[in-house]
This record gives sequence, structure tokens and C-alpha cells, in this order.
Amino acid sequence: MIKEGKFGVQEAVSLTVIAIVSKVFFSSPAILAGLVGNTGWYMTFISAAVALIGFGFIYLLLKRFPGKDLAEIFEISFGRVGGFAASGLLGFYMFFTTITRTNEMTEFLKVYVMPLSPNWFVAGIFVACVFMLCMLGLESMARVSKLFIYFLVFGFAAVLAMGVQNYDVNNLFPILGQGLDKVAFHGVIRSSIYGEVIILAIFAKSLHGVKYIKKEGIRAILISVVIISAGLLACSLTFPNYIQQEITSPMYEMATLIDYGRFIQRVESIFLYVWVIGEFISASIMFYSFIRLFCHSFRITDKKPIVIGSCITLYALALMHKDIITIIAGYVAVIRGLGSLPMLTLPLIALIVASIRKKGGDVQCAK
Amino acid sequence: MRKIALALMICLLLPCFASCHEASEMDDTLYVIAIGVDQGVADKWRLTIQFPTMKSGGGSSSSNGNGGNSSSGGGGGDDESGQGYATVDSPSFFVGIDMLNASMPRKLSFAHAQIIVFSEELAQSGLIGEYVAPIGRFSEIRRSSHVFVVKGTAFDFLKENKPTIGTTLSKSFQVFAAASENIGYFPHITLENFYEGLKSPYGQAIASMAAINEMESSSEEGGPKEEQEFKTGGEYLAGELPRDGKNKLELWGTALFNGDKMVGELNGDETRLLLMIRGDFRQGLYVMQDPMEPELIVSLDVQLDKKPQIDIETEGEQPIIRLKFQLDADLLSVQSMIHYENPELRPLLEETFKKNIEEGIAELIQKCQELYCDAFRFGENAAKNFLTIDEFESYDWNRRFHDAKVEVDVDFTIRRTGAQIKSYPIKEPIGEE
Repeated sequence: MIKEGKFGVQEAVSLTVIAIVSKVFFSSPAILAGLVGNTGWYMTFISAAVALIGFGFIYLLLKRFPGKDLAEIFEISFGRVGGFAASGLLGFYMFFTTITRTNEMTEFLKVYVMPLSPNWFVAGIFVACVFMLCMLGLESMARVSKLFIYFLVFGFAAVLAMGVQNYDVNNLFPILGQGLDKVAFHGVIRSSIYGEVIILAIFAKSLHGVKYIKKEGIRAILISVVIISAGLLACSLTFPNYIQQEITSPMYEMATLIDYGRFIQRVESIFLYVWVIGEFISASIMFYSFIRLFCHSFRITDKKPIVIGSCITLYALALMHKDIITIIAGYVAVIRGLGSLPMLTLPLIALIVASIRKKGGDVQCAK
Repeated sequence: MRKIALALMICLLLPCFASCHEASEMDDTLYVIAIGVDQGVADKWRLTIQFPTMKSGGGSSSSNGNGGNSSSGGGGGDDESGQGYATVDSPSFFVGIDMLNASMPRKLSFAHAQIIVFSEELAQSGLIGEYVAPIGRFSEIRRSSHVFVVKGTAFDFLKENKPTIGTTLSKSFQVFAAASENIGYFPHITLENFYEGLKSPYGQAIASMAAINEMESSSEEGGPKEEQEFKTGGEYLAGELPRDGKNKLELWGTALFNGDKMVGELNGDETRLLLMIRGDFRQGLYVMQDPMEPELIVSLDVQLDKKPQIDIETEGEQPIIRLKFQLDADLLSVQSMIHYENPELRPLLEETFKKNIEEGIAELIQKCQELYCDAFRFGENAAKNFLTIDEFESYDWNRRFHDAKVEVDVDFTIRRTGAQIKSYPIKEPIGEE
């Protein structure tokens, strides 16, 4: 059993927000523009609403099994084999997400910042940082998140504020973009964007109880939706729909357009800090979730060898992608399209099964 | 043991953070400031680059200074201005970069490229789209670079692009391009704006016009004509300003595009009207004929009060554009000394100017309609009448603009009268027969 330190509401919210929000820095705004036009900024509210409902089921599940984390609950609900499969599925998804984020980060850095550096070098540094954060443990990760989130939010807000000079409200019209049906459909499907809220359930034992988890989850989703919506809105205001869907990283490109004369320009370096630090923390927590689920499934009590082995595997797999389009149109599309199944639907299934099998809650207490 | 391992790990990572893979010394790199594109002779494109030679007190470029007239590489420079240029005929922009790199003792970097100039011939041939699209993909060139269409060749233009004030080429053009905000005789168009315009279903692309002025019109013999027709000063086209001076370059007017083909050109006055409608006009000095003494002029400092109000009806077959905006002005000079500050006379001045602007706008819109060029971005306002992108795109705004009916309403108010509130007549000379 891996022992982790405990941390408070602010740390948990910071960690979850960073894990959720970092996606908006990459190709998501461009992909969204292709799917729903200029409506991504309000479509994400639908996604957040669905995610809140999904989190409601996670909360009910945790409430039914107080003092247990998600992997333990899966075992109780589904039985030993079923719990192993459910944890394995979620763990695999977390690992796949980490690989995709590493790939995204590597390719985007190569496109915009380090075109001459080889993939092995960029991915190597990334995986080394993930490794170090994982070795330091969950509590350190949470505290680092709380420390950095102020800088990250400030940097993000600064870029958005300075980008005002390039905003054009007309870009928001036609107001329904590709149509309300598509907005609603993709809004529901892409609720997976807030799926990282599940880490609160995975690390439930490091938090101060179900009541606090509820508070942390709701706050994390609400803060994230504000940040994501603001980012998408800024992109839509800066680029017309037909241009936004062409750009590899609209947020970064938006930062490069800021030009207030000779003394205030080239501010994308601020954005780069936000981007890189956010992505490091985000990938690390996803990777650590995988480690936690893996160790639980195989009853491993020492995480270190698993972290080392998994980092090597992560590094190898991060170098195996074919090209950037495979990542954006393949891996990321799969994560956004199907991500809500392991992250939001699986806990719901566990809750239903637990109810049917009369596991946990009042039933168990009565016994 | 744990601490030692951590310290070792950090020491090992430190060289990585020094960015050794991307490291480049400042003086190993040649920072291209301007890029010129012409139709090539030996190959499809003629690519010209301009760069600072980074020699104190100026200096020639890396090559032998024989100019860029060779069709496949070469270079030139200016000993005084500290700038150099090189040109190459190549099948593409990117191959051209490597071809130029082969003749340069420094690695070319486009991270500081500020201007991209296309020759008018290239723009009119409709080949500009082929060139802009690849540049947009090249992350080294910032989309905030300025785009110009030049009369003559881009190569000649860049050869003449020398800082006449100060020594910094980059600063020189940055300040030059920013002048658009203060005079309004040319638009401020970035690569992003231009690229958007080429693909937009909401309107057409425009670019600033630029030219080399050979200074011939100011040196015509014969002295001043006794009776000249009234001129606003803005009716010239790029390269035709009657001026003299060391700087031969001028930015003036607007290139109009239909798709990726340049189909027309606006003079300075038309450009100001265009910018007013687009809401990009900030300030400009105007002259108008004195309504009471037409041989004399009145000068005004005109400002756009706020973004224009544009309402577009798209219900019928023919779209109706209702354009309304407010201009404010400061009275700068009244040659006739007529007391236009007087509330009874001021409306006469205001009405005359308003009528001029409304007529000018109507003519300008008609000119653009004939060219199928919605340079005003009216389409962005028309889009508000549609709920979805598909609905708007099937309406085909760029085609419908041709038949649109336009109603213009300009409010013009002289807000201030400068440092005087009254004009007292200058006395007539006495003792002269």
C-alpha cells in the first residue's frame, strides 16, 4: 500500500485545474473550430455541465464508500477481477493520456520553439521532469501546483489581456457556428475535457474526506470552465473560424500577434512558461494516477521501481508516434471522443453495480 | 545518498537547460528584416532579402557588392546605411532560403522579419496566394509582419530601403509602417490580416501600396502655376507624390484584391475613406475648399469618433447596407479669415465637408463593387443576420456585395477651433499701386 501525505482544498483544486486546463494550449481550439466553428467558448459550458453531473456520480460513489479511494471502490463494486479490469482500463487510459501529452508537447515545442532539437532530447527532458515529480510524490506535486497556479493564471490572463488589440467581436458571428445540434453534441461528447476531475477520486485518501472532495471537484470544474472558455473566446475573437482551424496552436499564435510597438512585443515567452509548466504538472499527475492504479491492481507497495520502469516505457512510446497529425487527429481525437467513458461513465457503472449488489453505503453499515 | 543522487541528477540536467541543441550565437546569425518577392527569371520566384550588416558605421554585405541583378544569387549593400541585400531566383521560398544560405557566411533567421513586399506584377498575376500560404505555415516568420504591394519590383524597393534617419533598419521601417495610424493614407496590414483576407468569406484582402518615388513631379520646370485646380493632397497614387528628399520610398494607398488577384488601387483620399468605414481611421489632416471663397482652403484635423455603425439587410435579393459614422474635427486654419467659429457659419463648413465625405464614400463603394471587392469587411456585419456558418456561406456575400445598395450617413462636427476662437482679418497692404 503506497502511503501518501495529505493536502488541502487549495492544493487539490490547483492540481485538478492545471490537469484540466493545460489542453487548451495545444490543438484543441483549432480542432473545436473545425467541429463547431466559433462557438467553442460557450460549447465548453455544456461540457462542464455534463462533467459536473459525471462528478456528481463520482461523489455519490465516494460517499457510498467513505475512506476508500476509487481503485478500492472498483474492487468492492465489481469484485476482485472486475475491479482489476476497471482499474486497469482507467490506468491504461491515464497512461495513454500521458503519452499523448508528451507527444503533443514534444511536437509543439519543435514546431514553435525548438525546431532543431531532436525528439529524443525534448521528450527526454519532459519525461525526466515527470519522473522527478513522481518520485517526489503526490503531496509535492500538489504543493507545486498551488505554488505555480498563481503565476500560471497571471501569465494566462496577461496574454489574454494584451491580446485585446487583435480582438474582433465580429468573429463570433454567425453566433451558432456550425449549428446548435453540433454544439450540443460535441459539448456532451467533449465533457471528457473536464474528466481529469477523477484524480480527486483516485487520490481520495490523500484528501480530507468526501465533503471536501465534493467542494474541490465543483470548484475545480468551475474554475477550469472559466479559464478554458476565456481562452477559447480569446482565440475566436482573434482568429476567424476559417483561420483558427488551420493553426497548430491558436493560443500560442495569438500570443505572437501581440505588438504594442517596439517595447511590448514577442510576449509569447510569457505564454511559453505557462504552457510548459502547466503541461509538466498535468502530465505528471496523469502519469502518477496510472502508477497508483497499477500498483493497487498488482498489490505493489513500492512505487519507485514502477515509476522507473514506466518512465522508460513512457519515453519509448513517446518516441514512437508517426507524425503530429497522428497525434492531433488520432490520439487526441480518441481521448476527447471516448475519454468520458473511463473518466465519467466508469464510476457511474460502479455506482449502479454497487447499488445492485448492495455494496457500500447504508446496506453495508447495516450489516 | 538520496540527496547526492538528486544533486547529480540536477547537474546532469543543467547542460540540457542551456539549450545546447538550439544554441546560436548572435553573430552567427543573419537577421532578415525584409523579404521581397517578385516573379523570377531563371526560376518561378525571385526572393530578395534585406538585412543589417551589423558593421559599425555601415558596411557592405557579405557578397561582392555587385547588386542583386544576377538571376541566381548575389548580394549587395550600402556602405553608409549598414544594410545589405541578396536575391535569388528559386522554385520556392524555402529552397530560396537554403540557396541564399549557401552564399552567406551567416545562417539566415527570419525571426525578426518585419516587412514582406510583393511586386505589383506578382499581385496582379494572382500568384500571391501561392506564396502567402507557405509563409503562413513557416513559424519563424511572425504573422505580425507588415505586408506591402510595391510598384516596380520588390528587389528595387528593398535596394532603396535605407534608414534615412538613424541607423537602425528595423526601427526605421517599424516606425514608418506605424505612421498609418496618424495619417491614414495607407492601411496597416499585417501578414495575419492579409492571409485572413485571402481566405475570408466575409470580404476581400487589401494591402498597403508602396513605391519608389523618382522625385520627378516636384522638379518640373516652369515654376508655380498661377491658377491651379483645388487638390486635397490625397488624390495621388503611390510613387506620384510631388516631393523631394533623400528617402525615395513612400507608403501610399491601398491595393485591392479579389481572391488572391490584385484588381485595383486606391489613392490616399480613398484609403482614408476605406479606413473610416473599417473603423481603422484614427486621425488625418484634411483640406477643403472654403465654401464662401472657393479659391482658398480650410484645414481640419479629422478624427473618427467611434467605430462606424453598420446595419445590413439581407432579407431580399439585394442586400442593403446602412452605414453611419461620426467624425469629429479641430479647425486648423482658415485662409479666408472668415469667422467660421461663429455658430451661425460653422454648420456651413460642416455640411460642406460632410457632403464631400458622403460623396467620396459612395464613389469608393461603387468602385469596389465593380471590382467585386468588399474591402470594407461589410460581410462581417452581414454575418450577424445568419445563425450558422453554413447559412452565411451559402448566401455568398462576396458575390452579393456587387449588387448591394448602400446608404451612407455621416455626422460631422467641428468640436474645437484650435488655439483661436475667432479669426480677425489681416489688413490689406497700403501704399501699393
